[in-house]
This record gives sequence, structure tokens and C-alpha cells, in this order.
Amino acid sequence: MINAIEVENLTKYYGDLLAVDHISFEVRQGEVFGFQGPNGAGKTTTQRMLTTLLEPTEGRIVVLGHDLAHDAYPVKRQMGLVPEESNVYTELSAWDNLMFTARLYRVPRSERARRARELLEAFGLWEKRGVKAQDFSKGMRRRLSIAMALIHWPGLLFLDEPTPGLDAQSARAIRDLVRQMNADGTTVFLTTHQIEEANLLCDRVAIINHGRIAAIDTPERLKAAFRRVQSVEVALEPPEGSEPAGGWTALPGVNAAVKMGDKYRLYTEDPSALLPLLTDYARSHELRLVSLSTLGPSLEDVFLEITGQKIGTVRHEAQNDKPRRRRMGGGQ
Amino acid sequence: MTGRWMQRLKDELAQAWAVAVKDVRVYYLTPPMIMFGLLLPFFLFFSFSVKREVTAEVGLARLLALTTFFTASSAGPVIIPLVRRTGTYDRLLAAPMSLITLLLGKTLVGTFFAVVVSVIPLLAGVLVLGATVAEVGLLLAGLALGSLAFSAFGLVFASIPARSVGSIMMPSTLIRWPLLFISGIFIPLAEMAPWARALAYLSPLTYAQDLLNHGVLGHGYLNPWLDLALLPVLLVLFLIPAAQLHRRSRVLGH
Repeated sequence: MINAIEVENLTKYYGDLLAVDHISFEVRQGEVFGFQGPNGAGKTTTQRMLTTLLEPTEGRIVVLGHDLAHDAYPVKRQMGLVPEESNVYTELSAWDNLMFTARLYRVPRSERARRARELLEAFGLWEKRGVKAQDFSKGMRRRLSIAMALIHWPGLLFLDEPTPGLDAQSARAIRDLVRQMNADGTTVFLTTHQIEEANLLCDRVAIINHGRIAAIDTPERLKAAFRRVQSVEVALEPPEGSEPAGGWTALPGVNAAVKMGDKYRLYTEDPSALLPLLTDYARSHELRLVSLSTLGPSLEDVFLEITGQKIGTVRHEAQNDKPRRRRMGGGQ
Repeated sequence: MTGRWMQRLKDELAQAWAVAVKDVRVYYLTPPMIMFGLLLPFFLFFSFSVKREVTAEVGLARLLALTTFFTASSAGPVIIPLVRRTGTYDRLLAAPMSLITLLLGKTLVGTFFAVVVSVIPLLAGVLVLGATVAEVGLLLAGLALGSLAFSAFGLVFASIPARSVGSIMMPSTLIRWPLLFISGIFIPLAEMAPWARALAYLSPLTYAQDLLNHGVLGHGYLNPWLDLALLPVLLVLFLIPAAQLHRRSRVLGH
């Protein structure tokens, strides 16, 4: 079975700024492949190169067996693209948006209406088919945008940040649709910075950081590779009238402590060694143990480790913190 | 093999048509289109023609040239920055059609607007001012071929990677306005100094104005066959830099 996408040595410079730095990876047919990274890591640049919207500076991209540099047309016919911004025609109705896209992708005239109806029903928009997209909510526009990308039964779908800004119900509906499309045989390339979304949807995840692939594997294997970010989640209640104690966060073996609502998550390489220390600490300080559980590393923990962001802190990249990698000479 | 290419050609033409029809539906009443494409040619006409001794026919040919020129060459510079900003242009660029097909679709949009807007002065000239049309065929050819060439001319500016109409309208205006004064619209080619006439031959507007003169007045300065041959050539010539600028945007990531 051929890979849906093969990327070799892919590189992109914007002037002197190196945005994507000689990356190589494959996406297998039929999988949901997550592409994750912090802002400015090179996710969107990579996705735009894979979808023919941006020309690479170096490297080779083969999609569905066709070299994108020389033979993009058959790829475009089999590819669906849902960009980060729902780029629907707001002046047109949902129905007209789909009809226009069907004409653009040369969906046979006899099948256009049936396919449009099928998608509008699947995406819960059939009742609103005559309403202009400018009157749609963000979630509805998102669903319409995905429906437009699917009008020609693509074998490969690029989804860029499908759920940010959506309410929980819309986000869940879109995730269910992605699962359904994938079950129907569509390969999905999912660009997201929502770690939990990748965890829930993806067969494999690539983490890109500073323009380079930092890791590629299944979410579970990535988590297993980062045993040092295992944790113990504990909720302790002080006796009535006394101040909450905090010294136990400095117990031996605790690498970092993060307050999460009414509990603490204590990161450790050895949760089993930490558990008796915690119970001893609670007893000696007359604290009531409300809950205690051990947790494996989450994909978010793995992501933070790989991208060099410390667990237990939230780092906001300031303007001058953005990764800027200058070319060290040589032609483009 | 031939069948496959014929199918591809048929597909590409249908896609260009789909893009044109969609753009006409979506953008025909956008404020910049009304301003630059509809009102401006009329303002210009009245600015330069009121209180000047011209016959109804000369006025009509002049207004038709102004209308096709400004309306057709405004469509691309108005529409493309808007669609770049809303992200819908990526939808077209990622679709299975060639860049030339996309540009051809956009050219048809400007042509449609220009021909439709030209109907207003044409009807007013004939019905209200009593102007007569000497050669209907040449008049229609002048409107259609002139609009196609001017629309492609506008696309050259529209292909500059920018997301605001203003960023594109500035260079576009800088080039289009001087053309008004060297193209035989307000000063006929026959009355120009030789050096000015040589300059006029560099302007696409010269050939459309001359063909419209043949259509409305029954005579022009150049051979109408030359106008008929050059306007389609100009259409193709303008699409080349437009395509090159698009390819440049794909490299720069704009």
C-alpha cells in the first residue's frame, strides 16, 4: 500500500527566515495523522506546501503517488482542504456554496444535488440550506466549510484547526464527523495545536518545533516514551479553621507541581515511591486525603516536554521570543 | 490521449465559467465595484466632455471606451484582494484547475461587468441623445474584446500580493489614468503630434477606442482589422505577467 503523503527534506525559507527545516515524514493511507506544534513552529507553512498553496524552497512532496512539483493536478482532484478560517462564501447560501464547489471539482451534474443534500443532512445544515452563510454561527460555517471540502469524495482531507472557538457540542460533532470520514476511508491530515483533539482523533502524531520534526509516533507510544512526566493527582483538605498546607509539594521525587482547581498534580518519575510519602505527609499534618490517583503522561505533557516548555508553567511567547532562525549563508 | 485532453479542456472552461458566474453573483454590488467600476467612468466623462463641442456619436464612443476600460480593469483589483482577505482565494488556488483557467474566469467577470455597464451609456446615447451606430458588429466587438483585454490588464495589478483594495488601486490608478490622455479619447489620434501618436500605440485603450469609433462613427484612424487582431493579443499578453505574479506569490507565501 502506498503512503498517502511522503515528504522528503522539505524546507521553506521566507527571505532569510527558515520556517520549515528539512523535514521528512510519511502519512499512511487511511490514517488520521496529527500535525502539532506551538505557534510559529511551521505547521501551517508545511500544510500550505502539501496543499500546493506554497512552493517549497527545497525538498520533495509525493501525494497519493504523484510528485507535487510536476503532477499536482491529479492530487488536487483527490484532495479536500479545510483551512483554519472557514472560507465559505458568506454572500451565498449553504446550498449555493456546495453547488459552486461541486462545479469547481467537476462533480457530475447528475450527482451534485444528491451529494449536496447528503452532506447538508450529515452536517445538520439541511434545514438551513437556503440561508446565506453570513447568517450562520461559527460552528455552522465550520461544518459548511468541511462539507464543501468533501463534495468530491476526496481520498485525502487536510483539516487545519477544525474546532478552536467552537462550543463543546459543535466541536464534538466535528470530531465525530472526522472519525466517520476516516472510517469511510478518507486519510486525514489534521493540523492542530489542541493536544487533546490529537489524542482523541489521531492514529499518529508528528510534533513540529522550530521548523523541525521533534517526534512522530502514536499518542500512546509518545506518552510511554516520557515516563518522567508521570504524575500523582492529590486533593488534601486541611482541618477546619487551619490554613491549607503546601510543603508536601516539595516531597522527594516531585519534579514539578501544578495546582489544578482544588487539587495538585505532582510530576514524578516514580509514582509508586511517592504515594507512601504523600499518605505519611497527610497523616503527620492531619490533612484529610480527599482523593489520590496516579496518572500516565498526557499528550499535553509530552508536547510541553518536546517543545521545551516547562511543565507547571504556562509560557506565552512574547514577540521577541518567536523562533527566528536565520540562514547561515548559501543560496536559496 | 486526445480524449483526455479534450475532457480536461472542457473541464477547465467549465471551471472558468463557474468562477465567473460566482463572482458576478457575489461581487456585483460591492461598494468598491460600484465606485471604481460604475460611477468613475461617468464622472470622468462629464468632467472632460461637458461644455465641449462633441457630437452625440463622438460622446457615445468616448463614454463606451471609458466605461469598458474602467469597469473591466477595476473588477480584478477590487475582487482579488477581497477574496485573499477572506481566504476564499485559497479555495480556488487549491482546486483542480490551472492558474490560467482561474485568471480566465476572473477576466470574464470584469468583461461581464463592463459589457453590462456599457449598456447604460449605449441606451442613453441612442434613445435619449439620438446617436446612431454605424457598424453594430464592430461596436459589439469593440465592447467585448476591449473589455476582455482591459479585464486582463486589471488582473496584472490584482495579482500583486496584497489583501487590501487600496494597496492595489494605487499602482493601478497610477498607470490607468495617464493612459486616458494618450489613447485618443479626448484628443483624436489624427490630431496628435507624431511622438504622441507613437506613445498612444503603446496603450491598449487606443485600439479599443479606435474600434469603437469604427463601430459608432463608421470610421477610425487605424485599420479595424488591426484593432480586432491586437485586442485578443493584448488579452494574452496581460495574462502572462498576471500568472507570473501569482507564481511569485506562491513562492513568497503572500
